[in-house]
Amino acid sequence: MNEAIKMQLSAFVDGELPENEAELLLRRLSQDAELRQQISEYLAIGRVMRGEPQVSGIDTLRDRIAVALEDPDYPLEMGDDVSPPRNRMIRPLTGIAVAASVALIAVFGLGQVGIDETTVEPTGVAVTEPNVDDVLEEMRRTHELTASPEAIDTRLTGFDVPEAAASTEPEDEEDDVDDAEDPAIDTPAE
Amino acid sequence: MASNPAASLRLALCGLALVVPALSAAAESPGEWLQRMSNAVQTTDYEGTVIRLSNGRVEALKVVHAVSDGVVRERLIAQEGSGLEIIRNGNEVHCILPEQQSVLVEEWNDQSTLFSTLPSNSVRFGSEYDVSIVREDRVAGRKTVLIAIRPHDEYRFGHRIWLDTATGFPLQTRLIDEAGAALQEVKFADISLGREILASALKPSYSTENFTWFTQPGRKVTPIVDSDWQNDRLPTGFRMLSAQQEVLPDSKQAVVHLLYSDGLASVSVFIAEHDGKSYTERSSIGPSNSYSTVIGAFRVTAVGNVPAQTVEQIASSMVLR
Repeated sequence: MNEAIKMQLSAFVDGELPENEAELLLRRLSQDAELRQQISEYLAIGRVMRGEPQVSGIDTLRDRIAVALEDPDYPLEMGDDVSPPRNRMIRPLTGIAVAASVALIAVFGLGQVGIDETTVEPTGVAVTEPNVDDVLEEMRRTHELTASPEAIDTRLTGFDVPEAAASTEPEDEEDDVDDAEDPAIDTPAE
Repeated sequence: MASNPAASLRLALCGLALVVPALSAAAESPGEWLQRMSNAVQTTDYEGTVIRLSNGRVEALKVVHAVSDGVVRERLIAQEGSGLEIIRNGNEVHCILPEQQSVLVEEWNDQSTLFSTLPSNSVRFGSEYDVSIVREDRVAGRKTVLIAIRPHDEYRFGHRIWLDTATGFPLQTRLIDEAGAALQEVKFADISLGREILASALKPSYSTENFTWFTQPGRKVTPIVDSDWQNDRLPTGFRMLSAQQEVLPDSKQAVVHLLYSDGLASVSVFIAEHDGKSYTERSSIGPSNSYSTVIGAFRVTAVGNVPAQTVEQIASSMVLR
């Protein structure tokens, strides 16, 4: 992909490419699958390098390529995803399940999975010492990734599930869990 | 109690004052509230500060969350420690560790980051629980209605959910153990609901250009049509939802993975050939309990956000046909 194409592309996603040039660009793209792939990667790299979650103008570009190709399902591969940067080596994390488990960090909190400032050194060498074995942590992570409410819901489709007993009567407050266990986290009653 | 008429009247009026606002919250059934909640979680853009409590540890997070065409974009920023950030775009999640100059990349399912233990929109958790409206309350400066989901037995946890009266959005959630203690709590201290989220608010604070990027190996999963393992002593309401063969990415260990659920709580059972090593029998992280035992030539481990006795009963009663 030459510099002229790159400049045209940048101008297009910024909405600054004159329409006659845009037509030429799209016609060329519609005839050259390899160029489309190169452009997809170029846009994704640029987006990641700039730290942008998405690039404005991408949708327009994709839509117009779809029209040019007469393919309404033209794949969404123009930098909308947040794949790791393609210009950088991505190292596999092995043997440090706890450190790698973003799912557990998010679900249980930083303090619950033993991840702290010493978990991953800049070299990527794990120095964490989890208080349970790594295999168990992998299982825990796998469970969290597998058992989302949506996944459970989908898999329960078809089962005959009796409804939960529901009561619309307001209850006596005293019946509820004590709201004053920890003032730092509880809402005072108003 | 009060013997004179004036005192009785005062008491009656006080009681009325307590009951009237609660009745307005009861205009919808608990199920309808949960349905509203589920829709709100899936569609609402929000920005705010969350206080999360788990196992007695409190942490504060800034959260920015936007949904566009069904794709979740989210940014969580730890307000303590090294300033860790979690950036989510659809199913791909980047965890930025600024002090280590590292980014961990992980693929997630569609679960909501903060509300992974809440019921989904179909509310299929059956007759093992009671659902009720407790009272009106206030969280993050907004009026809420408190919904209680109480289990009928000690094999699952209870939930308390404070839903924003105007939108149904969960402003506070609490997971409660068998003894009535809070195991995990997520609570907004302040929140903006439904306001447009700028793209810049979803960008990481750090330039990760020179960071080292790491990724988890993908899961290799093969469905099992007819599992050789069964369990006739499951706690009431639990049923097997899936069975698959998979290789755990780090340890390369081949396991049979069975997923059980009562519709709200779920337990995974992992079965591998016993390698003779010593494993932790019981462990817990926040509300997640595990129990591991040896059955014949196999190590059987059950994991889930359920009481310890639930994972123990399920794991120890697995039978190879």
